[in-house]
Amino acid sequence: MANLRTYTLIYILLVALATGKFVFFEFNFAYATAIGGTILLAITKILLIAGYYQHLIEEPRAISYMMATAVFMVFLLVIAAGYSIQ
Amino acid sequence: MSDLPPMTSVKRWLVTTNHKDVGILYITTALFFLLLGGAMALLFRVQLWEPGGLGILEPVQFNQAVSTHGLLMVFWFLSPIASGFANYLVPLQIGAKDLAFPRLNALSYWFYLFSGILFVLSFFQGQTYAGGWTLYAPLNVPMYTPAMDATAGNNAAILALTLFVMSITIGSVNFLTTIHRSRAEGLGLWNMPIFTWSWLLTVWMMLFAFAALLAALLLLSIDRLFLTQYFMTDQGSSLLWAHLFWFFGHPEVYIVFFPALGIMFETFQTFTGRRLVGRKWVIIAMVLVAVQSFLVWMHHMFLTTINLEIKTLYMATTIGISLPFDLMVFSLIYTMVKGRVRFTTPFLFSLGALVLFILGGITGVFLGAVVLDYEFRGTYWVVAHFHYVMVSGVTALVAGLYYWWPKITGKMYSEALGKLNFAVYFIGFNMLYFPMFLAWETPRRVFHYGESAQIYHQIATVGAFVLGLSFLIMFFTFAKSWISGPKAPDNPWEYSRTAEWAIPSPPPLENWDGRPSYASGRLEFVDDSPAATDGGVAHGQGTTTEASVEHEAEHADHASIWPFGIGVGTFVFFLGLSGLTPFVANFAEGTAEPPEGLDGFATQPDIMYPVLIALGMAIMAVTLFQFGREKFDAPVMNIAERWPFGGIGNTKFGIWVFLASDVIVFGAAIGAYIFMRLHMGWMDWEFDPITMAGLVNTYILLTSSFTVIIALVMAERKNKSGLLGAMGATVLLALAFMGVKAFEYTQKMGDGHYWWYSIEYSIYYVTTGLHALHVILGVLVALFMIYRIISIDAYLEDHRPVEFFGLYWHFVDIVWVLLFPLFYLM
Ligand SMILES: [Cu+2]
Repeated sequence: MANLRTYTLIYILLVALATGKFVFFEFNFAYATAIGGTILLAITKILLIAGYYQHLIEEPRAISYMMATAVFMVFLLVIAAGYSIQ
Repeated sequence: MSDLPPMTSVKRWLVTTNHKDVGILYITTALFFLLLGGAMALLFRVQLWEPGGLGILEPVQFNQAVSTHGLLMVFWFLSPIASGFANYLVPLQIGAKDLAFPRLNALSYWFYLFSGILFVLSFFQGQTYAGGWTLYAPLNVPMYTPAMDATAGNNAAILALTLFVMSITIGSVNFLTTIHRSRAEGLGLWNMPIFTWSWLLTVWMMLFAFAALLAALLLLSIDRLFLTQYFMTDQGSSLLWAHLFWFFGHPEVYIVFFPALGIMFETFQTFTGRRLVGRKWVIIAMVLVAVQSFLVWMHHMFLTTINLEIKTLYMATTIGISLPFDLMVFSLIYTMVKGRVRFTTPFLFSLGALVLFILGGITGVFLGAVVLDYEFRGTYWVVAHFHYVMVSGVTALVAGLYYWWPKITGKMYSEALGKLNFAVYFIGFNMLYFPMFLAWETPRRVFHYGESAQIYHQIATVGAFVLGLSFLIMFFTFAKSWISGPKAPDNPWEYSRTAEWAIPSPPPLENWDGRPSYASGRLEFVDDSPAATDGGVAHGQGTTTEASVEHEAEHADHASIWPFGIGVGTFVFFLGLSGLTPFVANFAEGTAEPPEGLDGFATQPDIMYPVLIALGMAIMAVTLFQFGREKFDAPVMNIAERWPFGGIGNTKFGIWVFLASDVIVFGAAIGAYIFMRLHMGWMDWEFDPITMAGLVNTYILLTSSFTVIIALVMAERKNKSGLLGAMGATVLLALAFMGVKAFEYTQKMGDGHYWWYSIEYSIYYVTTGLHALHVILGVLVALFMIYRIISIDAYLEDHRPVEFFGLYWHFVDIVWVLLFPLFYLM
């Protein structure tokens, strides 16, 4: 397990990233840029939380694969369903 | 609560957590629902005697009979009876003492039983659900169909299904943990008995598929109880339902069929005296099917407005999924050809299942082709096809009943009666379903059809009664065996090869005398008493050894009343919910912006229902609290094969598996938002968020994640006040989060923007509400933990529960990471 220092640094990072999303939308960025940037920020945040706060990086790799499978299923459903009505 | 009363005592069956007891409970309950679903089928088969109906059922009663027949058979019979076999046999086949979480196993059963009781009650609350087992939108919401007014009975049927899915989810987590982490030493995945293999793949599919159904049912329940708009709009609602339902629905076919397939493989091996031909390839084929099952769901939507490109793609994937099945079928045939067949009753049923499945499979290929489906969809061709597939599964499950009956009861049955049973069953089956192919032009779910089809329908109706009779013969055969059958030996079948046949019939409570091990290449029972080993021996790859072998056999609990209690509480709560709609409708009528189309609601509020809600919550509070406090030692396996999930505890693994399913639940809910917004046109979405509230809550929730991680650090340092402080801060932050949420909701409602106002607002309230519900559940757990820290200095010696709580809490935080941009920024 990581120490308190690492946890604190990650917390600060998370707060900054959250603010970043807000900045994308509240200051004059193009809508597409804002969405793209926000997706990147959200993915980074999720990886940080899952990897360090939930200690996924210390667990057997198979756990990460299982969670990745679940996320993939969601993408599959949403993208295929979304495409089906284009 | 550790003493288990004898089997003759009623109390035994209320408190047991033993996997064999729970298995018996599952099998008997499932057989009861088989009778009920069968009775429904006989009712509408009589109605179908002549075109336009014989008149024994009112039209809406016919619809109820058809719908409940489907729901009962698919949900309350097929999966649970397989679950019963798996409960009884999977731990035996892998050399485990019990499932990983015995109390949760009992809880799955009670959720299942009470969901069934709730479903039965729905018949007596006005009327039950009548919109077909696929629950298509908008037939599943009250708005467009006055006949299906939001009566409590309709709601109860949907809620019963929701409770059933909760039972399945708990069961899947339990079995995945068990099979992956409790296999006897030396039992690698490749060598696992093939029934266990089929069940392992079944529960993996269940985990993901049923999560999508759970999401769909939650949204539907909220639509019905709170008047939100998910499935009521004419803009994409019915497509949304179809996507969510069939994303679950196609894997469900294999979820139902795989255990049956496993039984076929098992019995073919035993009664041909030969190992399955190409066993490794059969396993690979099953894995392929499990994966592919999630890639074909839109073949149920060929007649919707989805585009032609995607229809073509799904036609291709559908043809693809039939290939691995060909391999399995050929493997069965070659095993039979190469072996020496003994035509016992279980083998006859398995062989019958194979024949029927081949017919069902071939007739399904027609439906997989887009062009042909235009003609066949919604006809009796479909009905005939899927009954050949599904009831072929039932045939194999009956084979399983005969095959394992001597093991479970310790009695032999009469082969003569068994063979008679098979003969009547097989004739009845084909008389019932084959004419449906010939009468294929009959529209499904309707009792009007062309005169020329009448003879086929009459043969089918007679066949239905013959098939029903065969089940009476089956029950008679088993009853006779139970009362006066000869004692069964440990292994009545000469060539059976799985571990359950190596122990007495029925097996003792603790299953094994010594520790089962396959380390030498064959099953042995090892004496692990301290004298025999120092407990520190190094074992093969993937084997975990712990030094404390002496503690292993000391004592394990097999009884707890709290799963039953939680089941009762949840049942009462759900029953109460079923009568909520009229109250919400009255409230809505009184607001400035009442929803349109409320005129259809004729039902009067009944005060009994809110009382039941309160009572149910009270019972749940007490029983969950006691469940959490109870000291319960599940049987542990210190030496086991755990690939690929070694190096992580059972509970932690279980929580991760649960979170994986929750990813799908939330993902589907978020997906519903994205889908509906895409359907409307992304920029046409009319929703005005309070962005600052979302931002503030983002900071609050992130901070609470930080305090939870501090709690873990404090627990590791055995710092009680630090742990208390961090947990307390987490609760306060969560309450602050809820406070901001309340502010937001109040503001919105103040503008007249209630959850029924538009699809945009429905989705906003429901998605953020679902998340808020997770926060509330987390707060309750946190409060319980604080109570434990104060009262018994909990978690200082063993800090793992704090970590487990963190896993859940961070997950809730992660969901918010997505909800914030989706609902407050975009
Ligand atoms: Cu399908």
